[in-house]
Formats: sequence, structure tokens, C-alpha cells
Amino acid sequence: MSQFMSAATTRVGRAQRSAHSSGGFSKRVRQLGLAMWKHRWIYLITAPTLLYYLVFKYIPLYNAQIAFKEFQPLLGIEGSPWVGLQNLEGFLNSIYFGQLMTNTIFFSGARLVLGMPIAIVLALMLHETRFAFFRNVVQTITYLPHFLSWVIMFGILLMLLSPSDGLVNEIIKSFGGEPIAFLTTPNWFRQIVIGSDIWKETGWSTILYLAALLSISPELYEAAAVDGASRLQRIWNISLPGILPVIVLVTLLRLGNILQGGFTQIFVLYSLPVYSVGDIIDTWVYRSGILDFQFSLATAVGLFKGVIGLTLIMVSNQLAKRFAGRNLY
Amino acid sequence: MNKRLNEIFKVALVVLALAVVLTACAPAATPTSAPVPTKAPAATSAPTTASSQPVAAATTAPTVVPTKASVPPTTVATEKPVDLELWAQPSVTEQGPPPADWIAYKIVREKLNINLKVVLTPTGADGEAKYNAAAAANSLPDIMQMVSASQDNRGTMVRLQKLGLLGPVTTLLPLMPERVKTHYDDPQRMKMGQVGGVQYGLVEPPPIPKREGYVIRKDWLDKLGLKPPTTLDEMFEIAKAFTEKDPDGNGKNDTYGVGGFINGVGLGDRFDFIMGGYDVPGLWDLRDPGKIQLNVRDPNYPKALAFFNKLVTAKVIDPDWPTLKRDDFRAKWKQGKFGIMWEDFSALASPSNYVTFDKNFPDGEFVALPAPKGPDGKAWYRVDTSLSTIWAVSKKAIDAGKGPAIARFLEWTATKEGYYLLGFGEEGKQYKFDKDGNIVFDGLDPKQVWTAPESQMYTQLRNNLIFTNTPQELKVRYPAYTSVKGRTVDQVQFLKFFQSQPWVAGAHLQVINPHPKAADFNRYYNENIIQFALGQKPLNDQTWADFLKGLDGIGAKDWETNAKKDLTDAGFMK
Repeated sequence: MSQFMSAATTRVGRAQRSAHSSGGFSKRVRQLGLAMWKHRWIYLITAPTLLYYLVFKYIPLYNAQIAFKEFQPLLGIEGSPWVGLQNLEGFLNSIYFGQLMTNTIFFSGARLVLGMPIAIVLALMLHETRFAFFRNVVQTITYLPHFLSWVIMFGILLMLLSPSDGLVNEIIKSFGGEPIAFLTTPNWFRQIVIGSDIWKETGWSTILYLAALLSISPELYEAAAVDGASRLQRIWNISLPGILPVIVLVTLLRLGNILQGGFTQIFVLYSLPVYSVGDIIDTWVYRSGILDFQFSLATAVGLFKGVIGLTLIMVSNQLAKRFAGRNLY
Repeated sequence: MNKRLNEIFKVALVVLALAVVLTACAPAATPTSAPVPTKAPAATSAPTTASSQPVAAATTAPTVVPTKASVPPTTVATEKPVDLELWAQPSVTEQGPPPADWIAYKIVREKLNINLKVVLTPTGADGEAKYNAAAAANSLPDIMQMVSASQDNRGTMVRLQKLGLLGPVTTLLPLMPERVKTHYDDPQRMKMGQVGGVQYGLVEPPPIPKREGYVIRKDWLDKLGLKPPTTLDEMFEIAKAFTEKDPDGNGKNDTYGVGGFINGVGLGDRFDFIMGGYDVPGLWDLRDPGKIQLNVRDPNYPKALAFFNKLVTAKVIDPDWPTLKRDDFRAKWKQGKFGIMWEDFSALASPSNYVTFDKNFPDGEFVALPAPKGPDGKAWYRVDTSLSTIWAVSKKAIDAGKGPAIARFLEWTATKEGYYLLGFGEEGKQYKFDKDGNIVFDGLDPKQVWTAPESQMYTQLRNNLIFTNTPQELKVRYPAYTSVKGRTVDQVQFLKFFQSQPWVAGAHLQVINPHPKAADFNRYYNENIIQFALGQKPLNDQTWADFLKGLDGIGAKDWETNAKKDLTDAGFMK
């Protein structure tokens, strides 16, 4: 909804700029005012969204200055002394820095590379189903895990994977195998994290692709069928190109979040034996920033993640423009 | 005309949308703040309390008037009541805070001229996060109980003091002679509340020290015809028998010898009775009174880990131990999953905890065991850190001149009236005395008595602010009872046995400041110890030396030096 509206306003703004680029400054302001008045309803309707971003995203940016300060509550944000990049250095010099980066990028990369194609395939399969009832049932079942919190998921995973009485290990044992401590073995932990994330979120992420698929004109499929195109050919030549913009959009947004390793999931699932493959930037920040009361450090790392995310979005947007011919903005 | 209607409709829609957003954002101030101007004394309390809870508004308003019309005006005329906000950990976590019409609130207001507000904070990491958030916003309450996720109450106090958020309590102590006599009489313990020689914390008597211990399923031993173990090697053999010989006789291979979970640094204090057999329980080596160093430097430490690894590789310990949380662990022993464990006496044997186990296994019985001896005949139960509750006062409260009021309130809690009211509730309602002065509940409404869930909100402060472990308290708090099959279960017997065991005295370890890079250090230490224990990392001279080298690489030596300095500064070491 809000995406549609902000897209509409940018389009208006763009048209405005190209039409009156030659005028003087005051004239341009006047023109802009007129244009805004003309589309006043759209601006009014967007107002809550804009307000939300202003209040919750832009104004708090002012407080991000504690990233470069040694924050002391008594002195307040402005009164705390400047320390330059010391907080960021604390993070970069952590003996676990390399491992934290690797783990974080591994998890978000794996979600991107494995999670997205699976969601797309599921969406295509649902789209191709002839029986509406079957599609609805499958959709509902695949959505369901999305609404469970990770704490509950941990309980379910423990019941499935516990080496003493978990279902999976009971099966392994009944075939004469040795039980595997999936949640505490470094060789298994990553698979469990990625697998459980795909299980939980795939159904939900098909929504976007399904919506895009439904917006493709049925005439295209009919024409292709008349010309003798097979199902796979129709998927390859009509469905996939039709949802390509959405795929590019999602990929770009995901790249911007590449340093978000999924705090809640990891925090609930990890334990000491698997820190080496499970500890991510956010869990480290939680332990050293929140529990050890180093808010400045936590903020510095947050900014660091933000800057890298922004850079990645900008670079990949250009790449998408060049190679896919489509971009986000 | 149609277009115009359309526009009106659009405007209405947008206004509606904005109204929804704005009402969601705005504080619900108008209705609660309205009565303020009508009554003078409420004016001071309104800004601090109105937004979060209507407690003060409700108690200062008409409730007082009908009972005794003359009292409120006189107090109003002489002196404004002082608002005190108190943050405490609940005594019963599943029950709520005292209600607004709590009789203690009324008495405190009438007798002490204090508007008290008790806020119960979450426990553990959530509680610490709440304190940290309040500290960051400089909005700590007037008087508060120090909370720590890592069981380091002093650490929390020192951190808040370093941030300049706590006020010294030195001047308050002379104002509360009775409280000092009953609670703050041990100078050694009170040192725990000092920073740089200044008293910031009020250190309570430890709430039931040495309350955990090493227990075994006696019915399993009897079934297999085994004798209780006295050494670690015997314990291993029994754990093996418990795992392989079907001690519960259900025909399934579904039991383990040992069960536990990680609680604290390294393998945690729940397995310290094993490390104790090798003379290395806990994080710190305290054997030489003039010296302090990490226990991992002792050559016995890797041997203890090797023994632990033997439990793991022989599969006689419940393999869920590295991921289990406390509650999962407790659910498991109640389901009879393992027969040897370390447990708190009350979690083990209080009626509400024991009932599930008793129902599942009417013939099941746990007995306490002495500390198991290691290969050299050493045995320790654990390190007794006897974590004291520490109360602190915010600098804000001291600056606002609330110090005397705080002392007045604390002194009252140590009087007969305050002690029984906050510890047991109203006499004749929640409890009564028998002719010997014991606290009893016969003949009282069972829904109102002290032990009833409905009454527990009235005594939420009892464990952390009131009780001092008198025999009268222990008797009423941990009564003996009979099991389904008519056996007597006496909780206090477990406690007495545990307390009689050899514990390393380590209460003073709390004065050691945390490692400057605690997150990295703790991870390195804990992760490696657990990898050795699980066998994920082979345990040999080379790997152990590498581990120690890595530990020094992240400042272990400096921390040991600082630990010595901290202990010396606090007067615990020369």
C-alpha cells in the first residue's frame, strides 16, 4: 500500500522536475507547491507513513551520535564525551570479529540463495495447480509456521531433534543408528538454522510472488498454449519474466539486510558448543552491548551494519540496472 | 454536487486515519491527571506515577477519607507525603504485585507519611535489561534491588555506581538501628556493598545459603542392588548401571545416569561437585589465601574435564545437557529420565514441585549424597557464593532529600509490625500464632492463608527484603509432609544435609570486577571448556596449553592481577 503511494508521489515529483527544470528557484518552489496542492489527497493519505518514518526512523538518527561517544546516562546524549571511532575499534578488534562476520553473512546469504528459489518454486507450483481447494489447503499449511514465535519453534525442534528422546533420533535409533545431537553439534547447527528458517518462512514469502504471478495477463498463457508451448516453456518464458521485477526487488532489499543474521532465531537456538558456527554480529552485540551495558558499542555496530547495508543496496541497484535492465529506484 | 460529496468523504477518511494514529501515539494522560488539582498532596505524585500506573492516584484519592476523616488533613498540613518507588524481584514469580488497596500501603502512608509504590521487575537477563534501559534514561527508582543475569548482584551495583546513578547510604544507616541490628550486622558482608570504601549497597543476609546439593534415586539403587556412591569412580559405575540396566523396570532403554544443565561459567555450578573431586570447583582457585588465580591453571583441571568427557562418551549423561534450560531440566527428572543430579532442596522437595514426581513414581525417592571423592580423595560440594540481595538507593532520590524517608521505611520493615505484615500478611487473615509462637494456619480461610496463591501478592517482598532465616521462618516456609505412599518428605532435612557438606567459602568473590571484555572472555572460556567436555576438541597437553595461551591472549593474566587488587581493596586479601 505505502509502496504504491510513495511510488506515485515520486512519479509526480519526477514529472514536475522534468517539466520545469529551466525555471528559477522561487518559480520551482511555487510549481512544487501547486503540484502538491493538486495532489493534496495523495499527500494527505501518505502523511501517516511519512510521519512514521520521520518519528521512528529519522529523528532517532540524532541519538546515533553516541556511537562516537562514551555514553553516560547522567550526562545525557549530548553531554557524553566524544571518543571518536574507539567504539567501532572495540568491535573490529574483537577476537571473534572474523567469525562473527562469516557466520552472519553465511546465514543471510544462505537464506537468500536457498530460501528465495524455494519460495519461487513453491509459488510457481501453487500457481500451476488446477484445484483451488488443494492450493488453499497447501497455502494455509505452509503459512502456519510463520505465525509461531521462535521460542515455540525451539520447543518443537527440541522435541524433534533431542538426542535423548527426539522424534528424529528415535527413528535413527530404531534403524540401529547413533543419535545425533543436532542442536549442539557444530557440523549440524547451520543446517538446522537454515532448514528451520526455510520451513518457517517459505510459505509466507510465496505471497509476494503469487501476487505477481496473478497480475500476469491470462491472455499470454492462452496465446502460448495455442502456439503449442509446453507447461515448462510457459513457466520459463511467461511466468518467470513476469515476476522478474519482484525477484530483483526482493533480492536488493535482502542484500541491504545482509548483516542481519536473524537475531531472534539464533538467540533462541544457539548454545555454547555451537558458538563457533552460530554466533552472529547481533548476538555478540546483545551480550557485550546490552548485557555489559555498552550502549555506545551497540550503536556503533548498528551504524556499521547500516552503512554496509546502504552501500550494498546502492551498488547492487546499479548492477541490477545494468544486467537485468531493472532497478529499485 | 457529486464531486463535492466525494471530497467531503475523502477528508473524513483522512481525518479518521490521522485520528487513529494520533490517539495511538498520545499518552493517556487526560483522565488520570484530571483529579490532581482537587487534592494538593497528589500533585507531587502525579508526574512520576500517572503515566505508568494509577496506583498513587487511587490510593491518595477518596479511599482514605471515609475510614478516618481527621488523619489525612493533618499530615497534609504538616508535611507532604514522600513518594517512594521500590523495585524488587518477586518472591513468587507467577504472582502479581500487591494491589493498590494493599493494607501495607495504607499503613505506610498514615504512619510514615510515605506514598509507597512497589514495582516487581522481571528476573534474570530480562530484569537486567529493564534496569539497563532505566539507567540509560536516568529513570531508576528511589530504592531498588540489584538484579543480575549472571548472578552478580554486586557487579550490577558497581556498574550503576560507576555511572553515577547510585547515592551513598552511609548517612541512612544510623537512621535505622533496628534494621541494622537484624539485617546489616555483619561488617564482612557489608563490605560487599562498598565501592572505593563508600557504602552504596545494603547487603541482606544471604537467603538460605548452601541450599543445593547432590542427590540420587534411592529406589533405582535398591532395584539394582547397588550401594550409594562415595567416589566419582563409583558414581560413574552407577550412572552406567542406571543407563543400561533399566532401573525403572519399564522394559525400555530410556534412562540416563546423570542429568543437568549449564548454569554459570564453564560447565556451570551444577557440575561443580564433579570438579570438586579434583579440587578445582568454580572459576577461581582460592586455596592459597595470599594468591588468586583461575582454576584452569591447576593441572588437575584438565583431569576433571577428562572425567566429565568420560561421562559424555560413555553416554551415561543425558545428552541434552548443553541446551537444556532450568525448567526443561526439572521437567525431565520429574519424568524419571535420570537418577543422579544436582538440585535445589526446595525445587526438589517442596510439595508443589514434588507432587508431579510423586504422582509419576509413587515409589520414587531421592536421597542426598555427600560430596564424591576424586582420585586423590579430595571432595568439595561447590563454591559457596551465598549471593546476598543488595539494595541500593538512586542518586536522584538522595539528591531529592528522600534519604530519611527511605530509612524510615526500611526501619519500619524491621519492626514487629512491618516484619509480619510484609513477611506473612495480616494476622488472623493470612496467618496466626499458636501458643508456642509458631506461625500456623488452622481455622483460617484456606483461600486467604499465607500459602494460598491468592494471598501471595501481599508478601512479594518477603524473600528479598524481610526474611532473615529464623527457625520460625524455616519451619513455616518449608513444612514436612507425606507422599502418596505415606512417606514423610522433610525439605529442611535436605537443606541441613547440604549445608553440612564441605563448601569452598567464596562469598567475597563478588567484589571482583568483571573482565573488561567480558563478552569475548566469557565466550572463549565457556566455549572451550564445553568443547573439551563434549570431546569436540581433543583434550591433551598440547590443546590444553593452547587454550591457556589463548586465554592469556585476551587478558586472563591482567584480570587475575585486577582480581587480587579488587580483593585487597575490599579488605578480603592482604
